[in-house]
Amino acid sequence: MAINAVARDTVFALRRQIAKIEGTLSERLEAPAGLDADRMLVRRSGVAESHGLLATGAQHFDAALNGGLPKAALTEFYGAETRDAGTVAGFALALAGLLLKAAKTPTPILWVGTTEIFREAGFPYARGLQANFGIAPQDLLYAEAPKISDALWIAEEAAGLTALSAVILELRGNPERLDLTATRRLHRRAQMAGRPVFLLRQAAFAEPTAAPVRLVVTPAPATLRNTLAGPLDGSIGRPGIAVTVGKSRAAQPGQFTLEWNPDERTFLDRTRSGATHQQPRDIQNRTKDPVAVVSLSSGRTDPATAARSVLAFTPRQSSSPGDQPSRPQRPAHRRA
Amino acid sequence: MISHRDRNAQRIAALDERAEALPLKPGMGIADARAMHPTIDIVEADPQADLRLLDGLADWCDRYTPLVALDGTDGLFLDITGCTHLFGGEHAMLDEILARFFHQGFDVRAGIASTAGAAWAAARFRGRCIIELGEEEALLGPLPLAALRLEPAIRSSLESVGLRTVGAVLAAPRAPLVRRFGAALLLRIDQALGRQDEAVSPRLPIAPLSVERHLAEPVILIDDIERLVFLLATALKTDLERRGEGARAVALLLFRVDGMVTRLVVGTSRSIREPRLILKLFQEKLTAIAEDFDAGYGFDLVRLAILTTAPFDMHQADLADTTEDSEEDLALFADRIRARLGEGAVLKPVAVESHLPERAVAVIPYWQDAPQRISPPKKPAGPRGLPSAVPFQPERPIRLFQAPEPVEVPASEIPDGPPRQFRWRRALYRVAKVEGPERIAAEWWRKEEPTRDYFRIEDTDGRRYWLYRQGLYDASKPPPRWFMHGVFA
Repeated sequence: MAINAVARDTVFALRRQIAKIEGTLSERLEAPAGLDADRMLVRRSGVAESHGLLATGAQHFDAALNGGLPKAALTEFYGAETRDAGTVAGFALALAGLLLKAAKTPTPILWVGTTEIFREAGFPYARGLQANFGIAPQDLLYAEAPKISDALWIAEEAAGLTALSAVILELRGNPERLDLTATRRLHRRAQMAGRPVFLLRQAAFAEPTAAPVRLVVTPAPATLRNTLAGPLDGSIGRPGIAVTVGKSRAAQPGQFTLEWNPDERTFLDRTRSGATHQQPRDIQNRTKDPVAVVSLSSGRTDPATAARSVLAFTPRQSSSPGDQPSRPQRPAHRRA
Repeated sequence: MISHRDRNAQRIAALDERAEALPLKPGMGIADARAMHPTIDIVEADPQADLRLLDGLADWCDRYTPLVALDGTDGLFLDITGCTHLFGGEHAMLDEILARFFHQGFDVRAGIASTAGAAWAAARFRGRCIIELGEEEALLGPLPLAALRLEPAIRSSLESVGLRTVGAVLAAPRAPLVRRFGAALLLRIDQALGRQDEAVSPRLPIAPLSVERHLAEPVILIDDIERLVFLLATALKTDLERRGEGARAVALLLFRVDGMVTRLVVGTSRSIREPRLILKLFQEKLTAIAEDFDAGYGFDLVRLAILTTAPFDMHQADLADTTEDSEEDLALFADRIRARLGEGAVLKPVAVESHLPERAVAVIPYWQDAPQRISPPKKPAGPRGLPSAVPFQPERPIRLFQAPEPVEVPASEIPDGPPRQFRWRRALYRVAKVEGPERIAAEWWRKEEPTRDYFRIEDTDGRRYWLYRQGLYDASKPPPRWFMHGVFA
């Protein structure tokens, strides 16, 4: 055991050095199996299970998260207000839907909530979940607890089960019960079972927890519906979700606007110069009416024309909620 | 002294011995009694509390026999057939019951007889006696008519013709009695004499299997109780195995020394027989009631009863024993939560065929099977055995408010159109994009409900809502109201 520990220490020291030379974080290097301190190795029938990462399908977002969200861990989703509950829950459920899509034999998802949050933010509606995320009613279980302590207990018991695909725990505000210890217990159980626990925190501000990844979710306008005749004016198409990586050991901080495609059941990046399928419309408008609809701010060139010129990095638009360039990109962008 | 209100006057309902000696009588006016004896202490009658007390006593009597029935407001029937040898014969059992009630502070009269009617008469008019089979007539003969459990009207009419004792009625010819006083009289006589069976309906259904343990030394600690539960469950397991069944509902009865009975019931979503699992469920139950759990001076009788059984499906483990029976894990998990937090703690949605969104999904407890009535019919398989694709899937929100919340809409551009802005939960929202309306009407057999026009609305911040207008604009009616029904992702 002692030799093992020493060997592991050496490996970690080396990894840190390599990371320093390469100019990245050591967490972003490919992890050797069983050596990561924070990851547990569970063998079932003698085969080590690799839990890996849950890729969302949005390339920029996945790249920023170093491959995706950890599957065997506690992940936090924050919503600033109760009325954002639809967006926050939608994001977590879309991820759960991705898990179900990847699973060979789907096992249920358990959604634990307090009576308060279900009353304030609405009860999950199975028809909508099936239509939007492909979660069939038989793959869904709810647990409603009158008190936060009961909800935490249910979630803890459920987190240790391999019979569930994912556990979603939804709480409101910043209760005292949900401290470092409580989240650490949830995280440990999720690691042991190899199943994710999504902690949805509505109307809460960020506080220290044991979750390795924290995402702050805010709503973003939906795209227009695509028809054969082009985008339909005034319609509400694919929902937009703005996600800020609040905390992650492996990820770079940044804000991303994702789009959920309910037909393909995958996430898309909404790129800086507007969504890909919105671009023809912009061009169309410009050819039809060359005068800019919104007056440009003085002393700046038209960002749309600049985007078409060949640049290493497209300039950042302050108004668009697109993703920020990562840290090493910033100086380059300033020079441009 | 206890008073009750009878025909608009406070009258005496019951008295203790000292008041009886004064002399006061039941049925006397309270005002008269006060005038005669100003010092009397009068308590208002509380029939509900009396019933609760009787229920508690009946619970306690469960220790002697599972067949305990309430008799009116002041009596209990115990069917002790086949139970007497456990307590050393009828005499010993009667003595023990009376002694225990006496220690609890109750003045109880009891009688044992082979028919319910005779036992009733013996308890009320003789007291502490055992009537052997065939002695009923001798017992009832000299007793007044009240011993037959007759209606007051029949009793008074019998008395008016001079039949004042049961013996006199028994001696009279039967046919004229039936003609004059009805069949009820003869029924009561036959029941008392054992010529006709009388069913005593027990308060609780009889458990198919039950095992109990009398303790010489009362137990107080929860750990000891849990250990006892395990022992009792182990004893039950062989019985269950012989029957090829498992338990679906298990009750734990804890009889406290001072007469209180704690009854804990756990239900399971699939049949179980492992003592370990039964113990786990009761551990949750005991944790849940930890604050209200009062062991007092301890429990001297612990009984584990299986209330309902179901066939137990066996499955064979493979050699390595690595198969993960995930459904079993899940069932046990759900049962534990149910034991701790109650029946509605774990829920599952079931799709229902209905137009109305809130009716289209029923949320039922996890262990219930979906009723056949509400489960949608199987979709016909399309070509190549694939289920046919749904032609049109309407947009539905992911969260639905339990009751649609009223929304203030100041004005919409056109009367039947979407709102420009609305006020919900005291906050103002500006509408950026709208889709709709989607008109949803109730099924034709629910005519009275007005139609709803649903709009998908995105506000300027990008949140998406599901609003509807109930009813239509009509000059003669009040303007329709708007409601918030759900939110989208």
